[in-house]
Amino acid sequence: MSIEIKNISKQFGEFKALDNINLEVASGELLALLGPSGCGKTSLLRVIAGLETPDDGQILFHGEDATDTHVRERQVGFVFQHYALFRHMTVFENVAFGLRVRPKKTRPSEAEIKKRVHRLLELVQLDWLADRFPAQLSGGQRQRIALARALAVEPRVLLLDEPFGALDTKVRKELRRWLRRLHDEIHVTSVFVTHDQEEALEVADRVVVMNKGKIEQVGTPAEVYDTPASPFVYQFLGDINLFHSRVHDGWAEVAGARITQTDEPNAANATLYVRPHEIDLSRVAAGSSIAGVVSHIRLLGSTVRLEVEVAEHDAVEVELTRERYAEGDWKVGEAVWLNPREAKVYLAG
Amino acid sequence: MATIALTQRSIVTTEVPWVRYTLTTLALLLIGLFLVLPLFTVFYEALKKGWGLYLTALVEPDALSAIKLTLTAAAIAVPLNLVFGVAAAWAIAKFDFRGKSVLITLIDLPFAVSPVVAGLIYVLMFGAQGWWGPWLMDHDIKVIFAIPGIVLATVFVTFPFVARELIPLMEAQGSEEEQAAMTLGASGWQTFWRVTLPNIKWGLLYGVILANARAMGEFGAVSVVSGHIRGETNTLPLHVEILYNEYNFVGAFACASLLALLALVTLAAKSLVEWRTEQLAAAARRDAVE
Repeated sequence: MSIEIKNISKQFGEFKALDNINLEVASGELLALLGPSGCGKTSLLRVIAGLETPDDGQILFHGEDATDTHVRERQVGFVFQHYALFRHMTVFENVAFGLRVRPKKTRPSEAEIKKRVHRLLELVQLDWLADRFPAQLSGGQRQRIALARALAVEPRVLLLDEPFGALDTKVRKELRRWLRRLHDEIHVTSVFVTHDQEEALEVADRVVVMNKGKIEQVGTPAEVYDTPASPFVYQFLGDINLFHSRVHDGWAEVAGARITQTDEPNAANATLYVRPHEIDLSRVAAGSSIAGVVSHIRLLGSTVRLEVEVAEHDAVEVELTRERYAEGDWKVGEAVWLNPREAKVYLAG
Repeated sequence: MATIALTQRSIVTTEVPWVRYTLTTLALLLIGLFLVLPLFTVFYEALKKGWGLYLTALVEPDALSAIKLTLTAAAIAVPLNLVFGVAAAWAIAKFDFRGKSVLITLIDLPFAVSPVVAGLIYVLMFGAQGWWGPWLMDHDIKVIFAIPGIVLATVFVTFPFVARELIPLMEAQGSEEEQAAMTLGASGWQTFWRVTLPNIKWGLLYGVILANARAMGEFGAVSVVSGHIRGETNTLPLHVEILYNEYNFVGAFACASLLALLALVTLAAKSLVEWRTEQLAAAARRDAVE
């Protein structure tokens, strides 16, 4: 089931939550809506679900206009950040709910309901919890039950609102891999919302980066990470260093050093973006080096972060692997040269 | 809970013994003087001249009619408030709309207004000299000094109980479960009966118990609209006053003992509900594996 989003706008009072959004979700795809809080990603998901009405625009399911279809007829599975399990029902009854509320004509028999619920509980590997109440489950288990409940109605699309947002880091990582495997198994068109770039890049087929009610970029995880379409996407998908730069003869220069080539031959004002792990340190100046002094060193598990003070600039962060850090044997207070391996230039204005 | 906390309290956070004992004695003395003694007096005075007179005072026609009227008024007012309360709480807790804070204030109004004033408002509206008085008289409908007025006054004074109890509960629960039910294809009614109501049932029961106690015990507002017609528009609290003013102490205290009993039953029921809710909450906390 494909989803087509056409010119969707939504305003809450003075706040423009969605500003003329156009997007297509291919059938069977797992799509991530990624952005900071307040960027409109959850609003967009709720508009697709029918929990929110757009001020303008259309939602098409499989080419059919679903904009005015009530949420209960839209056949979407919705998974909430805080699970929203029915607290007074057992796990079994939670999953069976969508089948039990069907009109008599289409309601499956009790035996059929039982069979289907157990099959779903097996799918999420929690069949042994059928008689428990939601309060007796861990966060990760609750979210898997919520997913089973959403799948019980055989939804045409599955929508997940920050599904791992309320879980701790370890469970979160486990569960997102599990979700990816599950999706490969059942192939239902899915859209999930997240503010965690790592999660989006790891799980999704395609990532939609949103900011201030607009789509900044749509692409595969590799595309958005390697070729960010805007400074915002660059900043949002990982840490960055900003350099004030000017372009001269087709080269972006920082403090006189030629860092990278540009399409534009000359510009007085440009910004250079370099990721911390794309900078090498050396004790001798290479062709395109920026001088600095190491001011802080922080060990972060497998990597080491060095803060380098650069004259007339904000401090620059450099990330090295433990091995490279050991090889270099860098010390605080030491004068070093920064050599950006990769850099992206955005012209001002 | 409180006693456990007390015994476990360390020497650092507690007072010296004589302060503790003085304060405790003072508190117990006050409770005894202002709560236990009056309650005891009611039953003592009622039974002073023996069971026979006590029972006679209760089955006497005027008393019976007062009991019946009180029960009738409560039987109408409490279900009405149950429906209003649930509807108002549902609207306030689950939806955002213009004028929401005005509605919340309005619901609280009966708590803020003196019951006597509430009664007077109804007299002003439906009384013979009131706004709709002439029209009502032309159509031979009696509101003031009749049962409808008593019911109206009772509904007014008990209005906030159910809603007040439910609004914070429903607000805390949010509306995500209802939304989940909708995405699963449940209709509005199905959502209400299967999801919302089970989640609020204990709070609802608590509100109903309180509303019922107030409905049966209300004096001020009912007194203004009732007209004190013996055997017709006298509720139990009004009947107590009349008997007392006539120096019929046994009768007055016998009827008062009924109201006191009602209070005791209400308290017991309320404690039971509280205990049950606390148990459910504790079970949920204990079972949470997080």
